[in-house]
Amino acid sequence: MRTLKALWAQPASRFAFAILSVIAFLVVFGGAVAPYDPLRQFSDEVLQGPSAKHLLGTDYVGRDVLSRLLAGTRLSVVGALEAVVIAAVLGVPSGLASAWMGRIGEWVSLRIADTLIILPFTVFAIAVAGTIGNGLQQAMVAVGVLISPMFFRVTRAVALGLRRTQYVEAAELMGATQWWTLRKHIWSKVLPNVAVAAAQATGASLLVVASLSFLGIGVQPPTPTWGGMLSADLGYLAQQSWAPIFPALLMMATVGSLNILADGIRDAGSPRRRRPGLVARLHRKETIDVAA
Amino acid sequence: MSVAQATNPVVARPSADAVGSWVRRILNLVAITAAVLLLASVITFALGAMAKTNPAAAVLGETATEADIARLDRQFGLDRPLVVQYADWLGSAVRGDLGVSWFTTVPVSDSIAQALPVDLSIALLAIVLAILIGGAAGIGAALSNGGIFDRTVTIVCSLLGTLPPFVIGMALIVVFAVKADLLPAGGYVPIQEDPAEWLRFAILPSFALSLDVAASIARQLRTSLVGALRENYAIGAQMRGFSRRRVLFGHVLRNAAAPALAVIGLAIPLVIGGAVMTEKLFGLPGIAQLALQASEKGDVPVVLGTLLVTAVVVVLASLVVNVAQTALDPASRREPAKGGLG
Repeated sequence: MRTLKALWAQPASRFAFAILSVIAFLVVFGGAVAPYDPLRQFSDEVLQGPSAKHLLGTDYVGRDVLSRLLAGTRLSVVGALEAVVIAAVLGVPSGLASAWMGRIGEWVSLRIADTLIILPFTVFAIAVAGTIGNGLQQAMVAVGVLISPMFFRVTRAVALGLRRTQYVEAAELMGATQWWTLRKHIWSKVLPNVAVAAAQATGASLLVVASLSFLGIGVQPPTPTWGGMLSADLGYLAQQSWAPIFPALLMMATVGSLNILADGIRDAGSPRRRRPGLVARLHRKETIDVAA
Repeated sequence: MSVAQATNPVVARPSADAVGSWVRRILNLVAITAAVLLLASVITFALGAMAKTNPAAAVLGETATEADIARLDRQFGLDRPLVVQYADWLGSAVRGDLGVSWFTTVPVSDSIAQALPVDLSIALLAIVLAILIGGAAGIGAALSNGGIFDRTVTIVCSLLGTLPPFVIGMALIVVFAVKADLLPAGGYVPIQEDPAEWLRFAILPSFALSLDVAASIARQLRTSLVGALRENYAIGAQMRGFSRRRVLFGHVLRNAAAPALAVIGLAIPLVIGGAVMTEKLFGLPGIAQLALQASEKGDVPVVLGTLLVTAVVVVLASLVVNVAQTALDPASRREPAKGGLG
């Protein structure tokens, strides 16, 4: 609760929150507020520039770009969120468990994380599409599994650090069960770190999902997604070289807001540190983004 | 423990209980590499075992009789227990035999041997470019610590991280191929045929691929350089009259380069995965085209082969980076750093 208040006190986080609220609104109502049906083809208005009728122009079969952008938000974002939920469900419990496992279990769990990290998203997702099937669910499970080491490592690192603290040792010596220690002492410290990882992972996952729909994996055309729109724009760069800007800007705003929010949660969780300026905070980002 | 430390185990301090002998370190590295390769092969094979396509039905079409399907199943060895199939598949894969395509009966290893050099040459050029661009930006930012160049680098790096790499590739196509007409927007010439032509086709994909990694390198190098410049030995050298530049290049850079190298190690899967994206952008005849076409038809041996080979390439490249990092960083030579292949 205190963390949330500290988060709300940061102007940058409030700004990021505002942008993400707009995106969330589009996820739910994007199709409804779109001026036209995203699949409707105005066949005599192909590849047009912005006009009063089509605010962001039309694509190669005369579909309204603004409508496709608004309606495409849902699948782009929900797909990414689904992958992050899968990743957290896989990564957090195993990360906690690995801090208490014996040496062999620890070694094996670390090697599984290593293996998932070295598999490239795109190649793995293509393989999943080619064997299990090409669909949004399969693609999201594939991305979720590969992102899960992010959660595993964060959770494990925090839990390992806490395990050696004296108050956890004291609790264990006094006969507390592991489950009690976990709930009472560990969980509240793990949670903010998981939240930071979740915000980062959502941004990363958005980029991966866009890359996959660009390759035609997951959501199939003509269903609109940001990545799919960019893929369609690729064939008409000579005629409409500015067309990729709109989906790209929307993606930048979303992923950028998530990154700012991740930094904000990190700062809010450490109240004693003086908050540095924006540029100094960007410098602290030594973590390596998964898909960036 | 801060999150920055937690999520970046490669730069974390080595554990105190680690015993620093070379033999042990190498054995550890070999064990980790072997385990990761084995796990990657298990994951790959498991995907194949879960495949929905029945090869016989897929190849023979709808008119196939049950006897035909059974005969083809036997021919592909699919009527045996999974463990036997896995052992057989792994044994052949180790010897370089990845089976034959279900549709064209071309050996999978032949198709991959043809496609892989495309991705490898592009990825290698991308890493070289990333080291040059990221290194220059990181050093420049550290020298102008807090100045305008430093701020610009930081902001550009952050913005690059919010875009999928193929958008940058599209921007490059627009600028260099469509507007300026300097370079081809797509196509490929193998490097062994004509290196100059190859470079003309490879430079845009590699550049597009390198920017993300360059941003990571610049960010990491700047952070560790600024930290190292505050160390006593660096301040001492400056007080003895060496110029800031000389201290940076002569003393500090070598120590600060190790974490940046670790960034490259972590970036290798991204570069290889990104090479796949650039193939589609620039129409390169690489491993992704192979995998995508096979994936559409449900040609399982080709799909599995590409995944396995990609995993092996990434593991081996990470190993090289790991060894280079050890050679460069005196601290990691004393004690093995945890975090495996990174």
